Amino acid sequence: MKTSFLNLKMNNPLVLASGILGLTASSMKRVVENGCGAVTTKSFNLEARKGHPNPSIVPFDHGLLNAVGLSNPGAEEAVKEISRFKEISDVPIFASVFGRTIEEYGKVAEIALKAKPHLIEVNVSCPNVRSEFGTPFGDVPEDTAEITRLVKQVAGDIPVSIKLGPHGPGIARMAKVCEENGADAITAINTAGPGMLIDINVQKPVLSNKTGGVSGPAILPIAVKSVYEVYKNVSIPIIGTGGVTYWQDAVQMILAGATLISLGTAVYYEGIEVFNKINGGLRDYMNQFGYTSIADFRGGAH
Amino acid sequence: MHTFPVKKIIEHGPGVKSFYFEQSFEAQPGQFVNLWIPGVDEKPFSVSAIKDGLIEISVKQYGSFTQKLMQARAGDLLGLRGPFGNGFTLRENALLIGGGIGIAPLRLLAAELHQNNKRFVSLFGAATKYELIFKADFKEISNCYFYTDDGSFGRKGLVTEDLLNIIRDEKIEFIYAAGPEIMFVKLKEIIDPLDIPYEFCMERYMKCGIGICGQCVLDGSGVRLCVEGPVLNQDDLKGVTELGMVHRDASGRRIK
Ligand SMILES: Cc1cc2nc3c(=O)[nH]c(=O)nc-3n(C[C@H](O)[C@H](O)[C@H](O)COP(=O)(O)OP(=O)(O)OC[C@H]3O[C@@H](n4cnc5c(N)ncnc54)[C@H](O)[C@@H]3O)c2cc1C
Ligand SMILES: Cc1cc2nc3c(=O)[nH]c(=O)nc-3n(C[C@H](O)[C@H](O)[C@H](O)COP(=O)(O)O)c2cc1C
Ligand code: FES
Repeated sequence: MKTSFLNLKMNNPLVLASGILGLTASSMKRVVENGCGAVTTKSFNLEARKGHPNPSIVPFDHGLLNAVGLSNPGAEEAVKEISRFKEISDVPIFASVFGRTIEEYGKVAEIALKAKPHLIEVNVSCPNVRSEFGTPFGDVPEDTAEITRLVKQVAGDIPVSIKLGPHGPGIARMAKVCEENGADAITAINTAGPGMLIDINVQKPVLSNKTGGVSGPAILPIAVKSVYEVYKNVSIPIIGTGGVTYWQDAVQMILAGATLISLGTAVYYEGIEVFNKINGGLRDYMNQFGYTSIADFRGGAH
Repeated sequence: MHTFPVKKIIEHGPGVKSFYFEQSFEAQPGQFVNLWIPGVDEKPFSVSAIKDGLIEISVKQYGSFTQKLMQARAGDLLGLRGPFGNGFTLRENALLIGGGIGIAPLRLLAAELHQNNKRFVSLFGAATKYELIFKADFKEISNCYFYTDDGSFGRKGLVTEDLLNIIRDEKIEFIYAAGPEIMFVKLKEIIDPLDIPYEFCMERYMKCGIGICGQCVLDGSGVRLCVEGPVLNQDDLKGVTELGMVHRDASGRRIK
């Protein structure tokens, strides 16, 4: 199950998605002990943010609706956790960064680089801070291009992946913009929507933010299709994300074109052990088809 | 989200109340629910009793959320989801140690122990008399020791004062505790050398309650308090480096 991704060697292709158990070194270490091949930090920006009041994460029949609101302890704190993680674990750590302005992306990336993460993931697609930040930068090709160039400029040798959402002017086109502006990889997708759930007794939206991003099984088809289209349009590797809960979902992502697969909501459905479970299923699938590496069937659905 | 009208409210004293809801799920002692005040916020509270088809939570007023909650009236719609987390295990010859509102989860535990014919002893402390809620309930089913900071009820002082004597005289084989974190630190110092097994019911700022946001994860161990806790035993606590030291606020930043 050894996987090569850019300049990295990983034990397996599974990554902990941003925003899930990614606040502290201890937390990410625990996930690694359960079999994931790399971890992504919770997205952080320059200053600490409290995020939206609760309820900010609510389950429904087919996934989660969340509007955490990018709460984070601020870049300086986050960088300490990355350094702590590197002291206690050998697996790669991806630093997820965002900015309230285009310039802030560059500044946050600069701080993140102090801890030498193995990759910088640039979150331009959070749907939950629209009321505060306006249209996500990831929906505007010019903004995404500029952010990509800016982060790439400060990142030097450290690879940069741009995390895109399924909304906006077409994910394949946006991925191309990222590639043309120097991105080393694409993470697809962020949560879908935004969506809303209403309490029928109180007769008001359940989330304090009213709307939130949809994740989990409900968005798997959207994520698979997004990865499929991005794979067709660019030649940089893809971190396939969205709704992967069982090993069969991970296989679909690889067949669509993903090099790595990240998962978040699956931890709710299948427990923290989900990484080991999916790795086991992937191994069996590869044995059954006689594959010796994931590259043997990557993009196989095209 | 499931919302229910508040069935009834009991006031134990200034700023300490119990709220009752129609019982919509079973809960083990130590498990908690997330209580939602629509338009305000949602916070975790221990289940303090399940009786006669009603679920009870008991709340002490601290900040803005509990202040709002104190204004709730019977008939108001509140959200209740749960139960979350891992509860207490039922043991013989146990000592229940509660500090302040920490008495709440121990009340459901006491009821279960009693029902299962397990002997236990109660040791409770609070700032003042009216914060020592449910005295009568506990007295009915256990030998009790009470302490208050101001001496308004029971003995004046902290629950740790005569702990060693009580453990010896009452032939205690297991300890349960719930209350402020500083109490756990002191208890650990006293009982770790005795080799008596224990379970503490702990608190951290929580967001999701379902083990994914990482907000409640304990440093040093990676334990998620909302899933593997809130009740932790002496082994769970071994790796934990943040007991009584720091915890995280809503942003995830460590605060003193
Ligand atoms: C698993 C779990 C079970 C809980 N069970 C109960 C329960 O049964 N009954 C109950 O009343 N509360 C319980 N709590 C605490 C509850 O969730 C709230 O944190 C508490 O009621 C304060 O909320 P607030 O918004 O009013 O205060 P905040 O606005 O959050 O805080 C106001 C001030 O009070 C302080 N404060 C906040 N929480 C506490 C606390 N728990 N102890 C001491 N000081 C605090 C803060 O430092 C702050 O200065 C539980 C918490 C957890 C995690
Ligand atoms: C509670 C929660 C918090 C999240 N926070 C972030 C975040 O801070 N940054 C980010 O890029 N994505 C965030 N995401 C999106 C996930 O990383 C992922 O892209 C999305 O949930 C789809 O994957 P999944 O279905 O496996 O969860 C969050 C998702 C959830 C459910
Ligand atoms: S409150 Fe989210 S992981 Fe525990």
